[in-house]
Amino acid sequence: MPAVVTNCQESNPSTRSRGADYAALLRAAQGGNQAAMERLLMKAQEIAYRFSLLVCGHADDADDAMQEALLKTYRHAAQIKEPEAFKTWLYRTVKNACLISRRRRVDEPARVHSLDDLSLAPDGSLHAIDVEDPGRRPDQVLENSRLRRSLHRALQTLQPENRLIVFLREVEGLSTRDVAAVVGISEANVKTRLHRARLALRQHLEAP
Amino acid sequence: MNAPAPDRCRTLLGQLSRYIDGDLTPAERRGLASHLRRCPCCQTMADSLKHTVDTCRKAGAARLPADVRSRARARIATLLASGPAARRRT
Repeated sequence: MPAVVTNCQESNPSTRSRGADYAALLRAAQGGNQAAMERLLMKAQEIAYRFSLLVCGHADDADDAMQEALLKTYRHAAQIKEPEAFKTWLYRTVKNACLISRRRRVDEPARVHSLDDLSLAPDGSLHAIDVEDPGRRPDQVLENSRLRRSLHRALQTLQPENRLIVFLREVEGLSTRDVAAVVGISEANVKTRLHRARLALRQHLEAP
Repeated sequence: MNAPAPDRCRTLLGQLSRYIDGDLTPAERRGLASHLRRCPCCQTMADSLKHTVDTCRKAGAARLPADVRSRARARIATLLASGPAARRRT
C-alpha cells in the first residue's frame, strides 16, 4: 500500500516558524538593538531577491529591488505602531519595490507596471538562482539547481496573481490570512487560487 | 474491494490542497485518507502534489548566493553608517 501523503504543516515546522519572528525583531530594532535592525534589513533584501527572481522573473532587477526594500524598511521601521502587522507591510513593500525597480529601467516604458506585465527575461538567464551551498555534494547541488530551474519555468506559466500567491504561501511560508492581506483578496479566494496553481505547477514539474 | 467512482475522485481532488495544508475537518480527513488507501491514482496525485509544494518550500529555505549576500551586507553597513540622515530622505 502506498504511503499516505503527510500533512505539510505538521511535518514541516520550519515552514510555520519561518515568518514568525518579524514582530519580535521589529520591537528589538525599534528599541535600539542594532543586530536586530541588521537582521531585519537582511530579511527585507532576501525577500526582495527571491521576489525578483521567482515572481518578476528578472534576476537583473534584484539589486535595485533589494536596495529599495532596504531603504523603505530602514526609514519606516521606527514608525510602525503594530509590530504584528509588520510582516504583511514588508511583503507589500517588497512587491511595490520590485515593480518600481522594473519601472526605473531605462529600456522600460515610463509607466506603472502591473504584475500582468511581468514575464521571464528574454535571455532566460537563471544562473543567479543556483544557490551556493558548500555543505552539499555536487550531485545534490546539481539536482537542486535543476529543480529550481524547473520551478522557475513552471512559475512563469502561472497567472501573475497566482504566481504571487504561490510565492507568498509556499516559498515564503506566509499563512493564507497574511497572503490575503498582502494580495488584497479574501482568504477563501487565496485557497481556491492556491489549489489551482498547485495543480498547474504539478503538471509542469512532472512533465518529462 | 470496489474501485472508487471517478466522481468521488474528482470531488476529493478538490480537497487535496486542504488535506496537504491540514485544513480539513477530522471527518473529511479520515474520508480522504481512506480513499487514498484504496485509490492508487489519487494517491499518486496526492504524492505528486505534495512533492510540488515541497519543491516550492525548498526554494524559500535556500540561502542567497554568496556574492548577493555580500552586497546586501555592504548596503546595510553603508546605510547604518550614514545614520539618521538616511532615515530623513524620502
